[in-house]
Amino acid sequence: MAIVEVRNVIKNYGVLRAVDGISLSIEEGEIFGMVGPNGAGKTTTVECIEGLRKPDGGTISVLGLEPYKERAKLYELIGVQLQETSYDPKIKVWEICNLFSSFYGNPLPYSKLLERFELTEKRNSYVSRLSGGQKQKLSIVLALISNPRIVFLDELTTGLDPLARRSMWELIRGLRDEGRTVFLTTHYMEEAEYLCSRVAIVDHGKIVALGTPRSLIESSGMEERIIFEGTVPNIEELKNIKGVLDVQENQGEVAVYGKGADLLQNAVSYLQAKGISYKNLQTRTPNLEDAFLKLTGRKYEEDKA
Amino acid sequence: MKALLELTKVQLKVTVRDFVVAFFSFAFPVLMLLMFGGIYGNKPTPFYGGHGTIDVMVPSYIGMIIAVTGLMNLPLTIAEYRDRKILKRFMATPLKPYYIIVSQVMANFAITLIGLLLLVITGKLVFGLHYLATGPSFILAFLLSIFSIFSFGFLIASIAPNANAATAIANIVYFPMLFLTGATIPLETMPAVMVRISKFLPLTYVVDLLKNTWLGVSQSYATDIIVLVIVLVVSFSISALAFRWEYT
Repeated sequence: MAIVEVRNVIKNYGVLRAVDGISLSIEEGEIFGMVGPNGAGKTTTVECIEGLRKPDGGTISVLGLEPYKERAKLYELIGVQLQETSYDPKIKVWEICNLFSSFYGNPLPYSKLLERFELTEKRNSYVSRLSGGQKQKLSIVLALISNPRIVFLDELTTGLDPLARRSMWELIRGLRDEGRTVFLTTHYMEEAEYLCSRVAIVDHGKIVALGTPRSLIESSGMEERIIFEGTVPNIEELKNIKGVLDVQENQGEVAVYGKGADLLQNAVSYLQAKGISYKNLQTRTPNLEDAFLKLTGRKYEEDKA
Repeated sequence: MKALLELTKVQLKVTVRDFVVAFFSFAFPVLMLLMFGGIYGNKPTPFYGGHGTIDVMVPSYIGMIIAVTGLMNLPLTIAEYRDRKILKRFMATPLKPYYIIVSQVMANFAITLIGLLLLVITGKLVFGLHYLATGPSFILAFLLSIFSIFSFGFLIASIAPNANAATAIANIVYFPMLFLTGATIPLETMPAVMVRISKFLPLTYVVDLLKNTWLGVSQSYATDIIVLVIVLVVSFSISALAFRWEYT
């Protein structure tokens, strides 16, 4: 039984169609990710699901509620972190936690949440004194005060340094491990690949592909690549090895393109059997970013903010 | 209800931590009173129709505090919360949205009241301030002034496209009102042309109403009351239509 059900949702801003017929469903207990470049419609979609925006078309059901109409009930059951909210710089950490607790009928004790997110020492600090990572941890704490069944995280790790991002990933896994469903948006492909049980790739307001990270990579038909330094006397022979699709040689560097789990082993066996010496052998397995590029026909890096 | 109280409490704390607001609502009026009181004392003078300088200044300065809280702090806080997407974040909780506005009004009301008390205590202890109002007339005048000027401030928050614009509008509105309405400098000392300009500024009617009710002057307050009620109704109506929780 899906706890989020989205059917053909449309949202326009003037003449711009920000969300163009998105459908998806989320099962309880999964980490569902929505990836795509800025302006793809991720945030608008999430905000429709959160009940912050009224869709112009389609239906949404979250825990059996219609988000925009039944907001008051919905917000007791979900937790929300918004992109770009920055709290009053002159408010202290414990004060904002206490404030949010007063909004809910049955809040989780925030002191335990602060402890879990390593903010206990900062409880008397002004919000403006927190680091980027600590601010984002605080927004998760505030999202968790309602003891939500679903947590929505919109671009949570954007702008964080790699170390802070990694630690955030473990915290997000922790949310799933305690039985919460997580819906996150990100434009970091490796984040979606690492965290999500299923990923929807969004571009121009539409879902381009949806599935497990593994299945998205496989369905994109991307090839593995093996690169080494050396000279192969008979390129055609190497091309005929099982799994190999193409071989290119360039200034002493050989690139072997192909598919299949035993590609590497076959190639290396061939080199050894023929007594061909090779150096600096590397393999490059396609990842979600490669799949994204293939599926959207975009150059991803250029779209990043 | 608990949420409303917490919001108001937090808002009060955050506002008092802001040096500018705290200074202009609490310290500045008291310093002005001490300075001018020190020069003129509180002896009855024909210049103020037989009233003491302090007895005239205290209600005028209360008008000045209402201008700081209502025309500056209230609209700038709301506009800033909208810019920072704090209003939007509150929308994603079970909190009733109008609580946010009500808590802002209550917090600024409380700040105005604290400023009033500091003025009154200083005036009483240092200069022997007289309170000459008949019945609840001053209290009613104070409440009408607050609601009227706060509505006007809320209008600034509603029509400003962003926090910077709100700051600009608030300053354009606030400073003329501070100096041309009798809130800081008595209108009695001003040339006729400035008095004429003052007739276009709502705070003039606040200062006139507060001052005359405080002094127990028996006169008709109809003009003051009508103007302030019109400002209240018009500002509130436009705000109700124009106010947005976030910029789209």
